Amino acid sequence: MWSLAIHTLIADRGKLLTALVGVVFSIVLVNVQGGLFIGLIRKAGLLVDQGQADVWVGHRQMHNVDFPRDIPRRWVHRIRTIPGVHRAEPYLVGFADMTLPSGGFEGVVVVGVDRASLLGNAWNLVEGRPDAILQPDGIILDECENQKLENPKIGELREVGGRRARVVAKSQGIMGFLVAPYIFTTYDRAADYLAKTPDMCSYFLVQLEPGARADEVCQAIRRVLPEVDAFPRDEYSRISIDFWMTRTGLGISFGAATLLGLLVGMIMVAQTLYALVLDRLGEFGTLKAIGATERQVYSVLLIQAFLMAVVGAIIGLVLVSGIQFFYSTPRAPIVVPWWLSLGSCVLVLVICLVSSWLPYHRIRKLDPMMVLQS
Amino acid sequence: MIADPHNDALPTKDAAAQEPMAGDLAVWAQDIHKTYRTSSVSTPVLGGVDLAIPAGQCAFLAGPSGSGKTTLLSILGCILSADSGTIRVLGHDLMRLDEDGRIAMRRNHIGFVFQRFHLIRGLTVLDNVCVPLTLRGVPMPQAQERARRLIEAVGLAEKVHAHPRSLSAGQCQRVAIARALVGEPKIILADEPTASLDAANGQEVMALFRKLTAEEGKTAVVVTHDQRIFPFADRVFHLENGHVVQTGQPNALVHV
Ligand SMILES: Nc1ncnc2c1ncn2[C@@H]1O[C@H](COP(=O)(O)OP(=O)(O)OP(=O)(O)O)[C@@H](O)[C@H]1O
Ligand SMILES: [Mg+2]
Repeated sequence: MWSLAIHTLIADRGKLLTALVGVVFSIVLVNVQGGLFIGLIRKAGLLVDQGQADVWVGHRQMHNVDFPRDIPRRWVHRIRTIPGVHRAEPYLVGFADMTLPSGGFEGVVVVGVDRASLLGNAWNLVEGRPDAILQPDGIILDECENQKLENPKIGELREVGGRRARVVAKSQGIMGFLVAPYIFTTYDRAADYLAKTPDMCSYFLVQLEPGARADEVCQAIRRVLPEVDAFPRDEYSRISIDFWMTRTGLGISFGAATLLGLLVGMIMVAQTLYALVLDRLGEFGTLKAIGATERQVYSVLLIQAFLMAVVGAIIGLVLVSGIQFFYSTPRAPIVVPWWLSLGSCVLVLVICLVSSWLPYHRIRKLDPMMVLQS
Repeated sequence: MIADPHNDALPTKDAAAQEPMAGDLAVWAQDIHKTYRTSSVSTPVLGGVDLAIPAGQCAFLAGPSGSGKTTLLSILGCILSADSGTIRVLGHDLMRLDEDGRIAMRRNHIGFVFQRFHLIRGLTVLDNVCVPLTLRGVPMPQAQERARRLIEAVGLAEKVHAHPRSLSAGQCQRVAIARALVGEPKIILADEPTASLDAANGQEVMALFRKLTAEEGKTAVVVTHDQRIFPFADRVFHLENGHVVQTGQPNALVHV
């Protein structure tokens, strides 16, 4: 049956290609579109994902890393006494304006990092060193924001929140979900830029002792400090992402666009599979006449649909990784998680198999007598 | 009527008493009726056909267009079922078979040759000939070996890997004959096997068909209009208006 299915499939190259294009199109679309979306939405948790903290502690009901509420900095001492906590440092996140050489302003997210530990500092530096923020007025910017910030050079002076700031290092790829670029500096200077008193902070970043469990430490923190919430890194990242997912129509519109594309691709596949069968109705009639059971005829169809799905999916995934390799940028990262690839393949396979059943009644009705009537 | 030496071999209406032995008659049919019915019209086609074909013989069904030859052949080939009558093919009571039984009968015991060849376009000659064995679940290497033997036997050894579209009509019909024989069925049914071929090719193909079926002692039933191939028949049944009007040996009938 396999050879019969494969050979008759290959015999009609035109149709085979159309169907394959449909499968490949669907796979590429779902993965790239989905990957772009995931890449985009994951930026909402970027600071958390890369922040080197195992646990994030913030105001109760904290729901987005970029929009924190103030908590008293002195509470950090009580967190440090909790078993399992290796280190806890205050962290400051807030909005300010930066002057631009052209005379304009750009809103920035100021991140203040503990001087001693540099916990939560910028990463992936391409110019300068992380501890450069200890220099007077030192800030770290990201290369990817060059355009927005009008090409700041190392050593260049700017004003942030009306205070002096000097670019001392540059990172590559720290682009958050917001339009506002991140700038990293020391905690006290950040408080200055944000015009806050240094006795309030946004978060405590907690690193755990080896072997300590994040969820247990979180519970302990909540017990000691009922005013705060504490989440393991992954969870707070997800909470930050969910903030955008649920409060904007982002997920729905992206999802709908992807589904529409998928639908188009799949209609292409279903329609071609159907046409393939109609084209060869006579041959299926012959098979029935010489003793093929209905099951055997279907197994030919199923095998063909299966092959189409598998071959198309492989080609599609290769294309996806190519696209990802060449076109994924920090601005528009294409993040294709394994479950998206697997899910799209399963979906395509299911749709192919289902659409191979579309011509069911045509085959069913097929009278082997037809081969004798010329 | 023309004298028919086989006529006395026809079983009487009392079928139960004189049931033919399987080794005796490959096909034995009595009083077959068939009417095509659609929602509005019913077309009576066979009105009581009797037929007896001894095993190993080649019988022709002849007669004018619309006389029901193809219908009769389809009934013998389990493609169609008769409305009433008694039909035994290779000892199987066709009237008692259900759909699955008919399919199994076609797959395991009957070889078909069609006027329009009905080869599968995408398959090579070899793969086409393998199809009946594939349907029976014979493993590919074994199927191919048997198919090759038959392709050689029909003289197409150098065309095993050719595709049907690159073959002439005569060659296609040879492939079809190989396909009909590959499963070693005891009976071969052919509907106008030479009608799509020119005279010379028709003669050649019939000669080959006859040779191969005779060699293996197969029974053959051939529907044809073509009087020029009558000499290949052991006997000819003449149908007209749904009845067998004449049965006889071909040389006697050729001149009718
Ligand atoms: N499926 C069908 N439905 C209704 N009538 C049919 C059907 N098939 C055949 N007939 C009719 O039955 C009659 C006999 O048809 P059949 O094909 O058996 O004749 P035939 O002897 O093979 O003719 P030919 O030599 O032209 O092939 C014809 O009148 C035909 O129109
Ligand atoms: Mg006919």
